[in-house]
Amino acid sequence: MGVAEDSFFTDKVAIITGGSRGIGRATALAFAKAGADVVVNHSKPEGGSKKKAEEVCRAIEDLGRASLAVAADIALKASVGEMMEAVSRWRGRLDFLVLNAARAPFKPIEKLLEREMRQLVETNYMGNIFCIQKALPLLEASGGKIVFISSLGSRFYNPSYPLGSMKAAMEALVRDCSETLGERGVSVNAVCGGIVRTDSFKTLRQYMEDLENIPEELCVSPEALADVVVFLCSPGARGIRGQTVVVDNGLANRLYRPAWAKKNRG
Amino acid sequence: MKQNLIAEQRVMDEVKKAIAEGIDIDPGRIKPESSLMKDLGAESLDFLDINYRLEQTFGIKMARRTVIDHMEELFGEESAIDAEGKLTAKAAEVLAMRYDGHGDKINSGMDIDELPVMVTVSSIVEGVTNLLDTLPEKCSNCGAGDWKVEEESRVVCGSCAEPAEFTSGDDLIEDWLNKIQEEKKIF
Ligand SMILES: NC(=O)c1ccc[n+]([C@@H]2O[C@H](COP(=O)([O-])OP(=O)(O)OC[C@H]3O[C@@H](n4cnc5c(N)ncnc54)[C@H](OP(=O)(O)O)[C@@H]3O)[C@@H](O)[C@H]2O)c1
Ligand SMILES: [Zn+2]
Repeated sequence: MGVAEDSFFTDKVAIITGGSRGIGRATALAFAKAGADVVVNHSKPEGGSKKKAEEVCRAIEDLGRASLAVAADIALKASVGEMMEAVSRWRGRLDFLVLNAARAPFKPIEKLLEREMRQLVETNYMGNIFCIQKALPLLEASGGKIVFISSLGSRFYNPSYPLGSMKAAMEALVRDCSETLGERGVSVNAVCGGIVRTDSFKTLRQYMEDLENIPEELCVSPEALADVVVFLCSPGARGIRGQTVVVDNGLANRLYRPAWAKKNRG
Repeated sequence: MKQNLIAEQRVMDEVKKAIAEGIDIDPGRIKPESSLMKDLGAESLDFLDINYRLEQTFGIKMARRTVIDHMEELFGEESAIDAEGKLTAKAAEVLAMRYDGHGDKINSGMDIDELPVMVTVSSIVEGVTNLLDTLPEKCSNCGAGDWKVEEESRVVCGSCAEPAEFTSGDDLIEDWLNKIQEEKKIF
């Protein structure tokens, strides 16, 4: 990370929502490698969720950094409040908030049940706002940074992917928060990921026919996304405000080509 | 139609293999009556992986949504799960019909989180077999009616070599629910 001073991240604290798996896990490890101590949030206090979070914590400690696993469903305001209190008690500071957790049903919009719609909005929209509200005092004190994790579903149609509209809302929120929180010394940006082969890809490929055919070189690794998240928190990114940076190995630029390719073939 | 190209034992072997690879356990531990979650330590994500492997093996499409999901889609929200997240009496009645063997364990008022525990190795075999049994009389591509089996698990047209088109798991559940509803007017 040539752009950051070597010691910039040392002893600073990052929290990753949904840090137990996939992109969140890679981001937690990238912060630890950069020198930060990391809070790994996950959704459930027992079972696989807890086990995975603890594994990430061990990997962070192997990198020589401190870690804390906190179970909290971000859709619940009270749980988010307790989580931020735990963070505050732990190290007394928070520098980086990465809003990565997401969970959504896969169905066409017209089939969504009311309960699923509420869960969709509560987890993927309100949950992020709860996190910002509860973390704000700590972030203001440190001149902190917020990075959201969006997806190409914010701007392209995907079958059975209601999460896309939540990601579009997220990218609007990034601009909004950047203006209002920027005045208070907190910077806000987002990373918009292409196709990443995480656990959620297993679900995705069930609904998107032929997703399996996307060539490997057009998929992006969790680590490639994580590096950009860390960059957006580094001094090198100080001029970037309210932006969503696409990290997709070029997939978006290729999307419209099949439309004419087919026609020409006849 | 009841197909007889792929034997039930063959399905059982492939299901065991998919489970062993999907959750990374010793195949020797897998018995027909094993509950995937309770006895073999599977998590909900593992089901996706196992289904995916079976789809690749047999050229079928496993159901993406549960019988409960389909009930709510067809007969209205809260027809199967009440506001407290418990199974309704009507849904319990339908599920008991579907899972004869487990009928006694399904009760109205039970927590819906308890349902996935009931998925066993044999219930997956049954699910796959039901899909294979939707093999159409004739090839949808060329109209021929002579199927053959490749690699012991893929049904293809003997005349044009197109893979057979089975009904999808979701369509099969929906058809079944509509039939039950027509006969018994439960909802
Ligand atoms: N995979 C892709 O192709 C892709 C592409 C672009 C963007 N993204 C975005 O990147 C982010 C991470 O995706 P992923 O593929 O890494 O997901 P994933 O493998 O499914 O992991 C999701 C993480 O979020 C946590 N989580 C879910 N709901 C939560 C809740 N209510 N409260 C707290 N934590 C919760 C999960 O915790 P548990 O372990 O407790 O379940 C898990 O750690 C998401 O925002 C996703 O939309 C993904
Ligand atoms: Zn044919």
